[in-house]
Amino acid sequence: MAIKFSRTFLLRKLHQITGIVPLGAFFFVHMFTNAKAMNGAKVFNDAVADIHHLPFLLLIEIFGIFLPLLYHSVYGIIISAEAKVNVVSYGFGRNWLYLFQRITGIFLFVFILFHLLHLRFGLFAGIGLTDIAVAGNASMAYEIIALDFQSVGIVIFYILGVGATAWHLGYGIFLFVVDWGIVVGEKAQKAALYASAFIAISLFGLGTNAIFSFIRPCGLMPSVLCEQTEKGKAVESEKF
Amino acid sequence: MSESNGHLQKKMLSNPPETIKVRIKRRENLKSDQYTDTFEVPYRRNLNVISVLMHIRKNPNTTDGRDVTPPVWDMNCLEQVCGICTMVINGHVMQSCSALVDDLLLESGDNTISLEPMSKFPNVRDLKVDRTPMFDHLKKVHAWVELDGSHDLGAGPAMPQETQQERYAYSRCMTCGCCLEACPQYDGDNYIGPQAIAQVRLFNMHPTGEMNREDRLEALMDDDGIANCGNSQNCVQVCPMGLPLTRAIYETNREVTVHGLFGWLRK
Repeated sequence: MAIKFSRTFLLRKLHQITGIVPLGAFFFVHMFTNAKAMNGAKVFNDAVADIHHLPFLLLIEIFGIFLPLLYHSVYGIIISAEAKVNVVSYGFGRNWLYLFQRITGIFLFVFILFHLLHLRFGLFAGIGLTDIAVAGNASMAYEIIALDFQSVGIVIFYILGVGATAWHLGYGIFLFVVDWGIVVGEKAQKAALYASAFIAISLFGLGTNAIFSFIRPCGLMPSVLCEQTEKGKAVESEKF
Repeated sequence: MSESNGHLQKKMLSNPPETIKVRIKRRENLKSDQYTDTFEVPYRRNLNVISVLMHIRKNPNTTDGRDVTPPVWDMNCLEQVCGICTMVINGHVMQSCSALVDDLLLESGDNTISLEPMSKFPNVRDLKVDRTPMFDHLKKVHAWVELDGSHDLGAGPAMPQETQQERYAYSRCMTCGCCLEACPQYDGDNYIGPQAIAQVRLFNMHPTGEMNREDRLEALMDDDGIANCGNSQNCVQVCPMGLPLTRAIYETNREVTVHGLFGWLRK
């Protein structure tokens, strides 16, 4: 039988899949790269340089990040505008999650726009930030961000940004598995929700620790978890 | 009252008020503006919202001393199986026949009950709405089993017990409209809604109904189709018949995804 495609059906399915691949997958890689700042400026700058050395980087950026991000955010705002929010009358837990998904999405539109324009394209020098983008300046990457994070306001904005992304992606994974009919029954839904929460909390922890790694060595973690300094290594090797 | 004969003892107000106030959102006709009238009704044991409305119909005088036309509402079975008396009571959508005054007052903690018509359907007059959109949705998704003729076709195909049980749950839908009223995605004709999707499950699970399976899936892939679900899951919470509506939606999501997105891989 002929398959008839409707616009809404395809646009929704595309919105759902872009949130997982590439955007969700990219967020995993992004947080993991950030976490390298735990081990100091050199390790982080090398990681940024490694990204710069990727083949076809510009194409990966355009087709793997910019276009999917543009689509996901613009269509997401259209979906949010359709919502007739009714949590006051029907305050069920998942109705609140429905609302939060839209609130975090709209907040992220602002946050990611700022984050991209500043660190990828070097804008916003006027508000006390540097005009050097991290992109293209791998050797200074750690310094640029450490300078940004001297402002408490920027640190709070970034913690909120990481939190909103982790929440939006975590619950987004739940939405994806039900929207594509992978998870169906009530018990499976509950399990998927717990798994989503676990992913969200892990990503939030990873990202927040990375933010603090630009403020003090090893971020919020005890320093045993981080790479030992040269001196520390020397002491270590004497023992054995 | 400790003896209960095995019956469930309903919670009752221990210190009931003399009278209760009833605020009703009213409207003359489809095109006129909505306004509110407040009535006072003497309390008695075991009042439900329909009996409150019947009292007001006999004494249509508002608390500010005006004689008004009696409020209009729909009712039929009076035992929560027909769905026609559905309205928004104290902000929640439910059937007015099974909404007991004691329960409402216990929950809200005051002596006023507010009655509104459902907001997602054309409001014909006062508390009466036109639920035709839901029946149009059922036509759109082919929510019936096709019959060749009126001659004797013999016994139908056998069905596994599990299928029977799941179908029974979906068959209890009374097209009341609670799921659509509580759905933050549904607003008129933009989304077909949980009710029709559950009926697609009901008829797609039937061995003869399955013959029109793809027609139903294609209807759900339209612009107002299943993809508009926002997963707030209010539908399954407010459904008075306890239909597993999210299960129906997600099971159908699976079928529609396989059919719509991966169907071409079978060519």
